[in-house]
Amino acid sequence: MVTHEEILKIARLAKLSVAPEELDGLTRDMNSIIEFADAVNSVAAEDSGFDNINNLSNVFRDDTVVSSFSREEILKNAPNQEDGYFLVRRRS
Amino acid sequence: MEQHGLISKIGGLLRSGEISCTELTKKYLETAEQENGRLNAYVRLTPETALKTAAEVDRKLSAGEKLSPLAGIPMTLKDNISTSGIETTCCSKILQGYVPIYDATVWSILKQQDAVLIGKTNMDEFAMGSSCETSCFGGAKNPHNTERVAGGSSGGVASAVAGNLAAFGLGSDTGGSIRQPASFCGIVGFKPTYGAVSRYGLIAYASSFDQIGPITRSVADAALVYDAIAQYDPMDSTSSDKAAPAFSSLGKDIRGLKIGVPKEYYDGIRPDVKAALENALKVCQSLGAEIVEFSMPSIKYSLPVYYILACAEASSNLGRYDGIRYGTLTEHYADRDEMICRTRSEGFGAEVKRRILLGTYVLSAGYYDAFYKKAQNLRGTLVKAFEDAFSRCDVIAAPTVPMTAFPLNFTARDAVETYLTDICTVPVNIAGLPGISVPCGFGSDSMPVGLQLIGARFSEPALLNAAFQYEQAAGDDVFRALETGVAR
Amino acid sequence: MNYELVCGLETHVELATKTKIFCSCTTEFGGEPNTHCCPICIGLPGTLPKLNRAVVEYAVMAGLATNCEISPVSKMDRKNYVYPDLPKAYQISQYDMPLCRNGRVDLSNGRRIRLNRIHIEEDAGKLVHERGNTFVDYNRGGVPLIEIVTEPDLRSIAEVEEYVEKLQMILRYIGVSDCKMQEGSLRCDVNVSVRPAGQEAFGTRAEIKNMNSFAHMVKAIEYEYDRQVDLLMSGEEVVQETRRYDEESGCTEGMRGKEDADDYRYFREPDLVTIRITDEMRETLRAKMPEDPQKRLTRFGSDYGLPEADARLLIEHRRIADYFEAAAKGTKNPRAAANCILGQMFARLGSEAEKERFDVAVSPERLRELILLLDAGKIRMNLVKSTLEKMLDSGKPASDFLNEKDLAGLSADDLKAICEKAVAENEAAAADYRAGKGKALKAILGSVMKATRGRADPQEAERLLAELLKK
Repeated sequence: MVTHEEILKIARLAKLSVAPEELDGLTRDMNSIIEFADAVNSVAAEDSGFDNINNLSNVFRDDTVVSSFSREEILKNAPNQEDGYFLVRRRS
Repeated sequence: MEQHGLISKIGGLLRSGEISCTELTKKYLETAEQENGRLNAYVRLTPETALKTAAEVDRKLSAGEKLSPLAGIPMTLKDNISTSGIETTCCSKILQGYVPIYDATVWSILKQQDAVLIGKTNMDEFAMGSSCETSCFGGAKNPHNTERVAGGSSGGVASAVAGNLAAFGLGSDTGGSIRQPASFCGIVGFKPTYGAVSRYGLIAYASSFDQIGPITRSVADAALVYDAIAQYDPMDSTSSDKAAPAFSSLGKDIRGLKIGVPKEYYDGIRPDVKAALENALKVCQSLGAEIVEFSMPSIKYSLPVYYILACAEASSNLGRYDGIRYGTLTEHYADRDEMICRTRSEGFGAEVKRRILLGTYVLSAGYYDAFYKKAQNLRGTLVKAFEDAFSRCDVIAAPTVPMTAFPLNFTARDAVETYLTDICTVPVNIAGLPGISVPCGFGSDSMPVGLQLIGARFSEPALLNAAFQYEQAAGDDVFRALETGVAR
Repeated sequence: MNYELVCGLETHVELATKTKIFCSCTTEFGGEPNTHCCPICIGLPGTLPKLNRAVVEYAVMAGLATNCEISPVSKMDRKNYVYPDLPKAYQISQYDMPLCRNGRVDLSNGRRIRLNRIHIEEDAGKLVHERGNTFVDYNRGGVPLIEIVTEPDLRSIAEVEEYVEKLQMILRYIGVSDCKMQEGSLRCDVNVSVRPAGQEAFGTRAEIKNMNSFAHMVKAIEYEYDRQVDLLMSGEEVVQETRRYDEESGCTEGMRGKEDADDYRYFREPDLVTIRITDEMRETLRAKMPEDPQKRLTRFGSDYGLPEADARLLIEHRRIADYFEAAAKGTKNPRAAANCILGQMFARLGSEAEKERFDVAVSPERLRELILLLDAGKIRMNLVKSTLEKMLDSGKPASDFLNEKDLAGLSADDLKAICEKAVAENEAAAADYRAGKGKALKAILGSVMKATRGRADPQEAERLLAELLKK
């Protein structure tokens, strides 16, 4: 069983805020999902050596410079910007 | 094969001059505008882009230039495929207003082929859902019955293609998101082998599962679109150069083809759905295919394995939405940490938050071994189980979904119950295999049923040919419930 | 009671690749904010990383140069944490399968510092804090780093200093990094603990971050040692934590952090594939590596007959050592080539940075041509020097400044005639000399050298002049 405290800890890690009135419902939801996911522990599975799906390796890029994007484009979608920087305002 | 499929048909009309590309495009745009109120398939129409491309196609036609197979074909992209200069939101509040500054590789390819983009289509938020109803724009409706969902997560593409608002579309399939809505809407949905199509520019849900593929009116169309987009892409390290073209393989005899039927796929499916599938298998037998029954016990772990691994990757992929570089930013906060938390809590919907939390949980200290690592090992077990299966048969036949399209608002009740509807589609994503859903009749509720055919890794030519032969043999009664757009 | 210092170092070194680790943007230092960026390195949705081959190669070379085992199979992982300088909210790094393991660096006191691992990862962007607002620049985001982790084997500040200096020298020498602490291309985090002398078990350690110079690192370790000893002496305990060095106060202070802040939820990076270093790849890279500097020093003595002090100066910068070898190759006067570099050329290179770049207008081949003229006895050392100055000024070859006459040599009769003429033309100096002012001879010698364009043997000319003036 996952407790309220654990849900809050996980939410902090995930940078999600949970309102007090959401906590009961969310804990209930999470418990049923985790219980469902826990089915993997009903079966023995040794290390299957799973690597990546097509067993690819050594996919590299050459060390050759390509022009960067213009700063205007880079900052185009930023909610706040100033002097060519992305801006994180102290408070709203 | 040129006479087959809607795309070839439209291509023929354009080349013969029966209709200009501009006329055709306007017709589709008009239909899209009229019908969208009913279907909610599109979240954004792109008439400017569409008409500009159409004019270019008309110019090429009049200049006698050779056109690529997809030139002038009205199509749509799921709203998680990045389109430079065109807002791309994943149907999430958190990405409202985001306008990509680069093109997804698949869109670059289609652009180069002069495909006509009618608009961006509706989807479950960040592709997380089975009904399209987690979209911040509300769900897309099923053209067969607008009281039913179009399916998810690529519900908008399926609804648009089934409803004649586009000739084909590209969706993405992480746990069934192309095949399931195609099945619900009575059309063809094809998820290629992992790595066959570049993911560059596809906004990630679960990176090791996501794959782009076509949603079309026919198998021939799916093969044609697949051939265009299945290219090695240096921008995607997981992309492969092993994909073989499929269109030219269509039409080969399937006498002696071994069709595997793992019984676990048929456990607990709705009787009317089962009946439709049994009928489909009989059609295949009549074509000379051989049915091979066997058991794949490990299939039953697919769902938990999928939800653990996909959510783990999603929790990491979705960490970047913090309101600093793009997307929406909360209005009220006291410090930076609160800014990020509030932006995310206000921007993400309930299902996305649930999956981020589950993913964070299974990766966090103390739970990693019991969940993530265990699931990763079981993923390897499932890969091997499919390898064994394909030593016994050439393709596997299974239901796409154990039911037909559910009524609107049905999935909101219980998260886990909804997850169970993905039972037949997720194994393919876990093992990175190609899978296609082809219509195979109707349930007792008169809603379409899909037959899912699954192939071995990079066996697209054989898989699509099997689907094509079934489609041809099944006949109009199954297949032609919806008229094709230009034929009207 | 005596307490022993125990340190372990985690050194982040920026690699000298041209492009970032996962995209093709330049790694050039500086630049206007957010001008070395693309959709990949600002983490736009849908973008994917593509690993730079040179990063893997440089890291393997760093491993070979520090006697590491090179892992035949390794992979990239995601380290998840949310911070504005990290555009994807995860850093792509290596967790449980680093590229290199079990290396060592030997110190001059005979102690061996074991390296636990070397792994590759991406750098974060830069944050500028101003009046509570934060300005974010991603130019540095995605610049490739290697992290070199030692075992807790360092026992004194002198050892820490020598270890870092040695590491800098090795990495610079094999060309994988310029290791400039002031530009942030070498940064250290130090794990510090103390234990009573003679005790085997380690004490509880604190990790100190944010030291951007050698001097700060030394002060931070000194402060931390004193702090921990004070705690233990007064019966308190050292808490395992991350501490930040404050430049102003010279103190370390505990970083305010939540208890779960460092649950990084590592997992395999699904957007990248496995890295397999075959024996062949490893050996190809080994063959490409420059000679070990210590061995080269010995060889410069035996092969070229250079005094050790001169050899050391040449070897300090690999580019200069390579230049010297190219210039001295096949000549009979390698010391003359060394003197040209350490004399005329070094005079023009003020800073260490300029020496490191060694951007001189004369190619080693052209210096070699000049030395070969000296070998053949066609010119003398003083003409070599004056010609080299002109070549360095102009970038033109020696042949532009030496005419046929210069190279023709000078007969004894010619020299005598020139000397006689010089005495006649310098009456005043000649008179001074005859009056006992020995120095006056130099002025006359000067005009002889000028007239012969330096071809004359100055000793021979001086002898002749003295003889003439006696008459």
